[in-house]
Amino acid sequence: MLDVESVVKSFDGFKAVDGANLRVDAGEIVAVIGPNGAGKTTLFHLLTGHLSPDSGRILFKGKEIGGLPPHVICRRGITRSFQVANIFPRLSVFENVQIAVLSRERKTFRIFSPVAGMAKEEVDRILRSVGLFDRRDVESDLLSHGEKKVLEIAVALGGNPELLILDEPTAGMAPEETERCIRLIRKLSEESGLTILFCEHDIALVFEIANRIMVMVRGVTVVQGSGEEVRRNSEVQSAYLGESGEC
Amino acid sequence: MVTTRRSAAPLLLLLLPAALLALPQVLPRFHIYVAEIVLLTALLATSLNLAIGYTGLYQFGHAVFYGIGAYGTALTLTRSGMPAPVAFLAGPLAAAALSLLIGLICIRLSKLYFGMLQISLGSLVWAVVYRWYSFTGGDDGIHGIPLPDAIGSPKGSYYFTLAVTALCVFAMYRIVRSPFGKVIQGIRDNPVRAAAIGVDVRLHQLAVLVIAGFFGGVAGSLFVVVENSVFPDMMFWTFSLEVLIMCLLGGMYTFFGPFVGASAIVLLRVFASVHTRYWSLLLGTILALVIIFLPDGVLGVFVRRPRKREAPDA
Amino acid sequence: MMDFAANLFSAGTLSQILVGLSRTTILFIVSSGMSLILGVLRIPNVAHGSLYMIGAFAAWSVIQFLGGGLFAFLAAMLVAPLIVAAVGFVLERGFFSYLYEREHLMLLLLTFAFMLILGDLVKIVWGPEYRSVTVPSFFQGSAEIFGLPLPWYNLFLLIVGPCIAVFLWLVINRTNLGKIARAAAVDGEMVGAVGVNVGWVFAFTFVLGSFLAGLGGALIAPMVNISLGMDHSLIMETFLIVIIGGLGNMWGALLGSLIFGLTQSLGILVWPQFGIAFPYLAVVAVLVVRPRGLLRSTW
Repeated sequence: MLDVESVVKSFDGFKAVDGANLRVDAGEIVAVIGPNGAGKTTLFHLLTGHLSPDSGRILFKGKEIGGLPPHVICRRGITRSFQVANIFPRLSVFENVQIAVLSRERKTFRIFSPVAGMAKEEVDRILRSVGLFDRRDVESDLLSHGEKKVLEIAVALGGNPELLILDEPTAGMAPEETERCIRLIRKLSEESGLTILFCEHDIALVFEIANRIMVMVRGVTVVQGSGEEVRRNSEVQSAYLGESGEC
Repeated sequence: MVTTRRSAAPLLLLLLPAALLALPQVLPRFHIYVAEIVLLTALLATSLNLAIGYTGLYQFGHAVFYGIGAYGTALTLTRSGMPAPVAFLAGPLAAAALSLLIGLICIRLSKLYFGMLQISLGSLVWAVVYRWYSFTGGDDGIHGIPLPDAIGSPKGSYYFTLAVTALCVFAMYRIVRSPFGKVIQGIRDNPVRAAAIGVDVRLHQLAVLVIAGFFGGVAGSLFVVVENSVFPDMMFWTFSLEVLIMCLLGGMYTFFGPFVGASAIVLLRVFASVHTRYWSLLLGTILALVIIFLPDGVLGVFVRRPRKREAPDA
Repeated sequence: MMDFAANLFSAGTLSQILVGLSRTTILFIVSSGMSLILGVLRIPNVAHGSLYMIGAFAAWSVIQFLGGGLFAFLAAMLVAPLIVAAVGFVLERGFFSYLYEREHLMLLLLTFAFMLILGDLVKIVWGPEYRSVTVPSFFQGSAEIFGLPLPWYNLFLLIVGPCIAVFLWLVINRTNLGKIARAAAVDGEMVGAVGVNVGWVFAFTFVLGSFLAGLGGALIAPMVNISLGMDHSLIMETFLIVIIGGLGNMWGALLGSLIFGLTQSLGILVWPQFGIAFPYLAVVAVLVVRPRGLLRSTW
């Protein structure tokens, strides 16, 4: 479904991504891992249109998407959550997801119908599936950090994506919240067949749910394969030498 | 999303329209005139707030749409042979078109740049109108504009102004509560997020500019009804900032804030002009105090952070 | 058509251009002040025009007080800007500095509030009638440039302009204070973290910018009617100039002023009624190609 080939992106001479390769097949859960500064978030920005690649190709369902603006990429079927919870602070939880659904339904230029209650079923369904239903009327700025990260995912789901990209979904979460998040990701994959790509620092989590793992070090894809393959790879071992975490 | 306290609303809903309708029967002519100015200025401020309060655009040059709306209507009434209804459409449409044009030029710039360029382009329009004596009357403006009898009389003009203002404010209210209204607020709070959920941010911003420009133009054409004349200073940049002050004073994050702010400033000005020559000093001092002490505006004092509510309400 | 071309390339045009350039000097001085304030403090100072106006009125007062003549004039050129600088100091330390954390919109409106306040204060202090300052006899009359007369005062301005530019360049690039100000423009927090009292840097910058505005007003005093309303007309031109030149860039202010002054002079020559629109068209053209202005902006 997603093919990234030799993508390069530099900033003022610094090569944040210097030859990244990635393949994600439909229905998979793929994780991108790597030490800090490996270029994971930059790669994600490239995938979702927030940055344009200097060279290389990014193909989604066979079509080139590198360099397209974010809203176009979203319409093609890729949505994302952000590393730092990036929601609409003044809107309620319900409204946050609602706006994503309405955008997907192309209703954003409706000016004379009242928005209250629009797409209620769809939004409620999403909120229920992520577990935020009983917080639906709370102004999203007032949520806890963990809840905001889950809301991020809910908003991304509002776009009914084919590929869901999660940028460090459990960052800053307490252990139970992390547990719930893992279950959620698994559930989304199993129940709706959603293809999920995410990046994480928590290695244990990654090995627990990812079908395949891609490892990036200093902007380069070192290896991409199953958990076993990655564990055995010597470069990965040396990159993570000194880091705690079961590898 | 943000509402006035529920207890006050039903009472207001009854008293206000009754008072507004009864006004011309009760008050002397000058007061009716002031009321008309309050209404159309409030309409102007509300239209500005669509751009600045709801979408977060730095709309510093809004007065130019007011002025073009007025001139468009005035020129159509005095120079073309067209009937009045056409004139009252021509003004706002011209304003909307200008808004689109200026918007296209400025939209690539962010925030402050956008505002500074918009206000500068507005000054250009002002300069052209000011100098084009043969067409626009130059710095004299246009006077003695003929109006149909029904709306030319003092009471007629009042009811016309009231009706149009009410209609337009209602329309804007609906817009704000529509999906479009939500999206532009999303764009204001988090344009990156908005783009990531598939919203074409620029397109929506341009749409808001056109709508805001249109309703600003309507306010301008109402001025023609009230004053029978137009003059270039209607679109001078200091007036743009004054309208901004009205939005700020009343509260930019509420729908009726600009209405309240405009009413306050217009009434204050009328009152102050009787007692002092130094209106600018007064206005400036009030503005400074509001900025320093009441950043959310007057209504903002009552409506700070909406808390958990019963049902999703916009 | 031939007449037109002949007109355009005549010596008359040249002298028109030189006169235009000397007015450009004033624009540059005032714009560089605004650019400084914009670049370092991020304040679009709408009150800048008021400061300019106060400079003109203050110059008049100084000259009145000292009884006219060359000495009075030169003294005014120094004292008036200092008075304006003092006003700027009060504005910045007394009011603006408390709002640096707030959004630009609020700061801009606050400067607008002060434009209103200062405008009326000028009315209160000096009254509503306009004043005039005569060019001191030392500068009266004209020099012969290209066979045509160029008033000595304009020539004086043409010399003063570049001097100010050099002086500013020295201050910004060669003094410690200037370097710190430039650093603060890029990253105020870091500068503060290094132990510099950022507050005084900001105050200094605002005071210098105000001084320049006042100087512009003082210098233009002999050439125009000193009146209320001077604040309005100048501020738009200044905004445009710093937009073309790149916010916060002093050379940008120079370039912008040149473009503005020249297009205006040529515009009026070519199309007297609407020539005034030419600079605006130039701005639009520039911004379509380079949205951030011609030179590097500090934003």
